[in-house]
Amino acid sequence: MTFNPADLGWLVPYLILAITGMLLVLADAFYRGRDRTLLAGLALAGSVGSAIASIVLYRQLAPGETHGLFSDMLVADRTSYVLSAVFALTTAATVLISPAHQREHDWQMGEFYGVLLLASSGTVMLAQASNLITVFLGIETMSIGVYVMTAMRRKSRRSNEAAMKYFLIGAFATGFLVYGMALLYGAAGTMNLLRMQSALSSTQNPGLVIAGGFLLVVAFGFKVAAVPFHMWAPDAYEGAPTPVTAFMAAAVKSAAVAAMIRVFGTALGGDILPFGTLGWASPMVVIAAITITIGNVTAVRQDNIKRMLAYSSISHAGVLLVGICALGLGSPSAQSALIYYLIAYSVTTLGAFAVVAYVGSKGRERLLVDDWAGLASQHPGAALAMTICLLSFGGIPPTGGFFGKFYVFKSAMDAYNGQLLWLVVIGVVNSAISIYYYLRIVTAMYFRESSSPIATTRSAGIVFVIAMAPLLILELGIMPGWWLKLVG
Amino acid sequence: MNPQGSFLLPLLIALPLLGAIFVMCTPKSESSLHRGLGIAITTITFFVSLGIFKFFNPAGDGFQLVFDVEWIPGLGAHFKTGVDGISLFLVILTTFLMPITLIGTKSSVEKHAREFIAAMLVLEAGMLGAFVSLDIFLFYMFWEVMLIPMYLLIGIWGGQRRLYASIKFVIYTMLGSLLMLVAIFYVYVKAGAVLGTYTTDLEKLLTVALPYNAQVWCFGAFALAFAIKVPLFPLHTWLPDAHVEAPTAGSVILAGVMLKFGIYGFLRYAMPLFPHGAAVWAPALSVLAVIGIIYGAFVAFAQDDVKKLIAYSSVSHLGFCMLGILTLTTMGISGSIYAMLSHGLTTGGLFLGIGVLYERRHTRRLAEYGGIWKQMPVFAGMFLIITMGSAGLPALSGFIGEFLTIFGTFNAGCDPGNGIPCVVGQTEPVHHFIPAPHWLGALAATGVIFGAIYLLFMFHKVFFGKLDKTRNGNLPDLKRHELVAFIPIVIGIFLGGMFPRPLLKIMEPSVQKFIKDFDHRLNEPEWSDHAPHLYGQTPPPGVTALGAVADIQRNLDNVAKGAENAAAEMKRGTP
Repeated sequence: MTFNPADLGWLVPYLILAITGMLLVLADAFYRGRDRTLLAGLALAGSVGSAIASIVLYRQLAPGETHGLFSDMLVADRTSYVLSAVFALTTAATVLISPAHQREHDWQMGEFYGVLLLASSGTVMLAQASNLITVFLGIETMSIGVYVMTAMRRKSRRSNEAAMKYFLIGAFATGFLVYGMALLYGAAGTMNLLRMQSALSSTQNPGLVIAGGFLLVVAFGFKVAAVPFHMWAPDAYEGAPTPVTAFMAAAVKSAAVAAMIRVFGTALGGDILPFGTLGWASPMVVIAAITITIGNVTAVRQDNIKRMLAYSSISHAGVLLVGICALGLGSPSAQSALIYYLIAYSVTTLGAFAVVAYVGSKGRERLLVDDWAGLASQHPGAALAMTICLLSFGGIPPTGGFFGKFYVFKSAMDAYNGQLLWLVVIGVVNSAISIYYYLRIVTAMYFRESSSPIATTRSAGIVFVIAMAPLLILELGIMPGWWLKLVG
Repeated sequence: MNPQGSFLLPLLIALPLLGAIFVMCTPKSESSLHRGLGIAITTITFFVSLGIFKFFNPAGDGFQLVFDVEWIPGLGAHFKTGVDGISLFLVILTTFLMPITLIGTKSSVEKHAREFIAAMLVLEAGMLGAFVSLDIFLFYMFWEVMLIPMYLLIGIWGGQRRLYASIKFVIYTMLGSLLMLVAIFYVYVKAGAVLGTYTTDLEKLLTVALPYNAQVWCFGAFALAFAIKVPLFPLHTWLPDAHVEAPTAGSVILAGVMLKFGIYGFLRYAMPLFPHGAAVWAPALSVLAVIGIIYGAFVAFAQDDVKKLIAYSSVSHLGFCMLGILTLTTMGISGSIYAMLSHGLTTGGLFLGIGVLYERRHTRRLAEYGGIWKQMPVFAGMFLIITMGSAGLPALSGFIGEFLTIFGTFNAGCDPGNGIPCVVGQTEPVHHFIPAPHWLGALAATGVIFGAIYLLFMFHKVFFGKLDKTRNGNLPDLKRHELVAFIPIVIGIFLGGMFPRPLLKIMEPSVQKFIKDFDHRLNEPEWSDHAPHLYGQTPPPGVTALGAVADIQRNLDNVAKGAENAAAEMKRGTP
């Protein structure tokens, strides 16, 4: 590998996040006083700066133009910068909702911002990764940061339990990941994702490809919380502080899917599929179907909103897997469908968790559906924002969530001569089930009265996220054309 | 590019939507201001909708005032709106009922008046959008948009069991419409392959002939969505719950306009897109429609709750509409549309009337009333006309629609050239899929009699008899705003019953075109075993069907064949 300093220019979004992250860790050591708002300001500047850098670099590239960086370890193309901008902005939104939540629920730790930005740099690396090594590095940087953040509420038993579970299962999944990568390397003779496809199609060891593909399906199944590898997710989501949960659900999941787009779409997609009937796509379609169904059906039974959203995000992972299958099976529109879905899903998730962070105050977190009764009459703005987010989760037009689902399912219909129809039917029937539990929250907020005044965690940052998310969701749903041009 | 007057339809959708945003911006406490604004906005919308007639050519049979801009380029989705003789009056019905509902229920909503008005306005925008859209994606969007405000109307301003009723309403409708979405995907993908570009433009999609099996499945999916909305027996169970729990305004709009989307969906989407599917499903649908007519009437008769009674009467009346469109006769379809308009007026009026009673007595039980005529003579008179209109008394609007529908049913399958005579008004032989049309027509006709019985029975129990409940002693008669709401409805019922000709004349060209196109598509020569293609073109050879199902079938056949061969081989091998 040769080091070409000129390549660094294409890495500015990553570098900003990583350097700011390290600065924050240092700054925290020399910082006196309990209030960490200043650190939050620096973190916000870093993540927004990274997003701006991504946009600037995006505009310098023509559609379809790619630059391999550092001997093709990383890649610079339009897709990667769209994704890195999304991840950086997700980080910024997480930073915005954090300080007030920290203050209110008493987990003021300065390391948080440093760790957050370092984890976020991992997501941006995944957006640009084009080699199995960089995929692995990105996933680990991101995951380790999130394990730490999950445990940030040191005094909370749940937080500790969640972090422990998450860490053990995550470490376990990493084993699968490395093993799968090793097998693929053995079959292809290269780690490079762009060259892997042609190398694999002439391999002498199809058995290695099949086994490697299966192992990667398992590993990524853990990362995106697909059934049956989802057991950690509800506990981790519930135990982690709400801003961390938002980051986990939005950025971590999206970054894992971004890596899947490269690994399964580019390296293992298309012509490899002759191994395909036995290859990774066959377990993946089954996993996708089960994930959507189990996620939704279990969510129906939840009374805790964070757990409900955890199961809902599991079911969304299922939809994303449908898109990955479609991509691998050669649907031309699947990649832009997936990226659009990631954007809509991230915005919706951030909005929903911002409202969760907003509702509730010191000593009373108000995480049960019953706790939200009558929210609409006391905090109409928050209730309306939550309703729009939930409708977007449920896929009701005119929201971004609807169009995302529409587009992913449509690309699944395109793939493989319409053979994924059954998967689309399952996905769509599940949408109807999901409406039930999303509307349970709406029902509580609007149709029931509260017995006592609902105190909230108010800050400019939280209010900003709560106000922006619904607007963006509606904009995504009503004018999807602009976004499609961006990602297609 | 777009013809003159085409801006009217997008304007119709935009007006209530902007109105809703505007109402939400006004201060929360000014509830009379909100009501006034709501009435003003809907009235303006109504007058704007009358402007359609200025540009509408009554003799034209295609879509008019077509407005078309590209909306999502990557997907081929257009913002395309237009009206023809089928949708025109449904649009007018919607804009007409809206201000009347808001005026009539002016004093009944105390809680959150601002949100109530906003929800009603969004609902109106959604309904108008769904009636005028000519793009299947746009239609689906509006179709779902309607759902949420109605859910909120039932859930926030509803009765005791509103939580249950609202969620049942949403889940029922969603389940149906999501399966329709799958069928839309299918049509979209297959048509895109044939047309060369992906598009959701309805008129373009209609040029594609889909394989036979696919049509059967897709029609089934569409039919489920629309049959739930109609509602067709046995999918009607959400309706009584929704009606009973909904506030008066919600009930009026639900029965008056929203149910019509079921029938309209069949006419605009399901039947033209999948003629073969329609042919396969029509016998079952027509039988269910007739069961609905009679079942609805019987169950209505047994109700003690007035709202439930009217809800079941809707099941019965919409059965006529369903039967009418399946006859594929001009009479039947025009009659069906006419019956929808009449049902919108009369049932809307009946629900308003129940609202008037409920506001005074806070009960909907028939047994609680009796002898009200003496207390409320004006109201009783109005209510009588509306009841009679609903029961189908000649010279009132309900009569025309049901009469035409039944005639149309008798005509279905007539073929004068081959000695099967037609009833009056039909000279051409009719394509039809209704089993034993004469029997079904006769059975449906009994529904008119039963309808008269339960409606008169209801009227009798409420208004006649002794005034023996003390609490009914001093009920005030109609207030001014209620009177203002009832008078247009009563006038409409009279006019509709006495001068049906102008309306029918405007519908006729579109209905005839519908039938002609349907027959044309159905008779496309030898194509049903082929891949999708354009109508009128030689289909490419290939496999048919919903890929997976057919492929599995074929694979199984191959396996079976292989096994047979192997068995034969073995037999030959052994001496």
